[in-house]
Amino acid sequence: MGRRTRRRRWFVPYALLAPGVLWLLVFYAYPAAQVLVASFWTGSVERGFSFSLENWSNYPDAIGPVLPHFGRSIVYAFAATVLTFLIAYPLAYTMAVRAGRFKNLLLFLVVAPFFTSFLLRTISWKIILGDHSVVLGPLKDLGIVAEDFRVLATAMAVVAGITYNFLPFMTLPIYVSLEKIDLRLIEAARDLYAGPWRPGGAIAGALVGAGLFGLLAAIFGWSILPPAVGGALAFGFIGWRFVSQSFIRVTLPLSLPGVFAGTLLTFIPAIGDYVNAEFLGSADTRMIGNVIQNRFLVQNDYPAASALSFILMAGVLVVVAVYSRALGTTSLSTGRTI
Amino acid sequence: MDQPLAPHTLFHDMGISRRRFLAGGTLAGISAFLAACQATTTPTLSPTASATPSAGASPTPVPRATPSAELNWANWCCYMDVDPNDPTRWKTLEDFQAAYGTKVNYQEAVDANDTFFGTIKDPLNAGLDTGWDIIVLTDWMAARLIRLGWVEEFDLANMPNFVANVRDPYKGLEWDPEMKRHAPWQSGITGIGYDPSVTGPISSLRAFLTVDPRWKGRTEYLTEMRDAVGLTMLALGLDPTKPTRDGCDQAVAAMLKARADGIVRDVKGNAYTEDLKLGDAVLVMAWSGDIVQLKLEKPSLEFVIADEGAMFWTDNCLIPKGAAHKGTAELMIDWVYVPEHAAQIEAGISYVTPVEGVQEIFQQTAPELATDPLRFPPADQAGRLKQFGILSEDDAAYFDEQFAKVIGVG
Repeated sequence: MGRRTRRRRWFVPYALLAPGVLWLLVFYAYPAAQVLVASFWTGSVERGFSFSLENWSNYPDAIGPVLPHFGRSIVYAFAATVLTFLIAYPLAYTMAVRAGRFKNLLLFLVVAPFFTSFLLRTISWKIILGDHSVVLGPLKDLGIVAEDFRVLATAMAVVAGITYNFLPFMTLPIYVSLEKIDLRLIEAARDLYAGPWRPGGAIAGALVGAGLFGLLAAIFGWSILPPAVGGALAFGFIGWRFVSQSFIRVTLPLSLPGVFAGTLLTFIPAIGDYVNAEFLGSADTRMIGNVIQNRFLVQNDYPAASALSFILMAGVLVVVAVYSRALGTTSLSTGRTI
Repeated sequence: MDQPLAPHTLFHDMGISRRRFLAGGTLAGISAFLAACQATTTPTLSPTASATPSAGASPTPVPRATPSAELNWANWCCYMDVDPNDPTRWKTLEDFQAAYGTKVNYQEAVDANDTFFGTIKDPLNAGLDTGWDIIVLTDWMAARLIRLGWVEEFDLANMPNFVANVRDPYKGLEWDPEMKRHAPWQSGITGIGYDPSVTGPISSLRAFLTVDPRWKGRTEYLTEMRDAVGLTMLALGLDPTKPTRDGCDQAVAAMLKARADGIVRDVKGNAYTEDLKLGDAVLVMAWSGDIVQLKLEKPSLEFVIADEGAMFWTDNCLIPKGAAHKGTAELMIDWVYVPEHAAQIEAGISYVTPVEGVQEIFQQTAPELATDPLRFPPADQAGRLKQFGILSEDDAAYFDEQFAKVIGVG
């Protein structure tokens, strides 16, 4: 009896892993291996392709002309990740802590737009944000923005589109980790004199706001000072008015696992995204995803496309590894950071 | 599938016309491809009594092949006449089915030449059936497939109407001189699409390269390399019928300069129609048929063949190697080469027909169509329509690579 149980136990973990492993083998490992092989090809569609390790030069050849696209992808994905975090955190906090009986309704509202297709949602932005749309039309009529001002076909539109499309991937993990927090911990913190955080909140908020909006302005090619000052004032006020010591010492650290998961779920797909850049951006804002798409499907240059795909994968892996190292997933899951 | 017909109206309402609709179209193409791969067996049917197409004055020749139960056809969006009584059905295909008993599985599966090529090249390379019996591709891609030996030779005995009615200018091309492997489906013109109420009259392609506040930042180029490079070469006084690497370099440099000058809003595929409709773009490189359709919604739009000329292209029916229903495919192609049938198609779409006799039919039935310069370019304009020269594979790769810089991915 005992032996039989043991034998079954030996088998169970593998059986449980099998579907996932099989899935990864068929839909990840095998295609990835094919792409790796293709990245060492030389030739053309009509002449056929041949493999040789000597074709490692495909890598430098492919990446040389498109370094700016890599840089742009990282910058856009970073900006979108920060923006989703700033929007998602208060949203998730409200849902988890303050929403009461509206919690499920709010959760539904966060997810509801995502019942429609990614593509349709993105294209609908073109109608909302067009040069003479319901948003910009009146602003132009009133003389608030210049006649030739536009949102579409700019870096701002691409970053905003990515932010919008990935918002639930940031909101839901943060919500889950906030929802798990034992509210008695916050009560305990208050009992231990964790009160309003002043002037720390105001100063921290002002610094974050100035840095963030200054950075976004730089990415979008605006003048830096007005957004930085505006950001400092707005975030300074938020920090002064809403951020307490119990939030900084209890709630925020305990929610970091959700933040970690949310940032990865946003950043990784965002860096390879090409739909937003294709539909909302312009020739000046194309990302590395657009380059790979063009190499694969338009130029039929499979070796270059494969090499670029691998460089992107490796780059993302390095970024994620550094990030995990910095935040430390193990300590995060036990809430023992800061 | 009971209804062999694709949901034409959806795309039509979205304003997405003939050419590529990138991501969605690719998926549609792949799923159509997979669906078509499950082709069933083909019991033989005899032609019914109505198999003899009714002709006007002269008797129409009857082809001899035995039709199969089904036929799989991959075509571009908005390229077939809709049944006036049921917008989810294609009239011409229903007529064919009534005559031959063949169910035509017609899919708008081609969204771009390159992407569609990607879906069929592996089976063709392996000597397998692609699942399609007719595919429709632009000249240069048709030439490539023929060069690769991936296209079936027509049995012209099955295609008497095709032999009799294909118009002369389409004959004798260097990549298929005897016209045994391709049958032109439709031709079209790439020229200037613009809104004169904003830009004032425009008749020169130089406008695409000129800074003018009326269209600065509201000008769009096409992502189709042969159209964009071809029109720019014409603007520069170069000859796109004999494209050279040097000409390509000059055209690309001019387009990059226009981008740097802020003239160009974006370089787009079919999505330019949306921008034109919204007014975000007022001057675009456009496909003639698109503007004809857009004018219904926005009458201020115009299409013009510029003083320097315009690009002319043809999409062609090919039977891919190993097609399961080759004989029926030949019957289908022959069917659309009967002038009455071609006229029915042409009344529903707005392109240039390769079929002789259609204009004469319109003169009787619909005189306004017979004089439409976009359907029947007048002789004085025909000389200004240029076909982009066929490039060798290496040259095509060079042109694509250079043009990628203009799209912003090079």
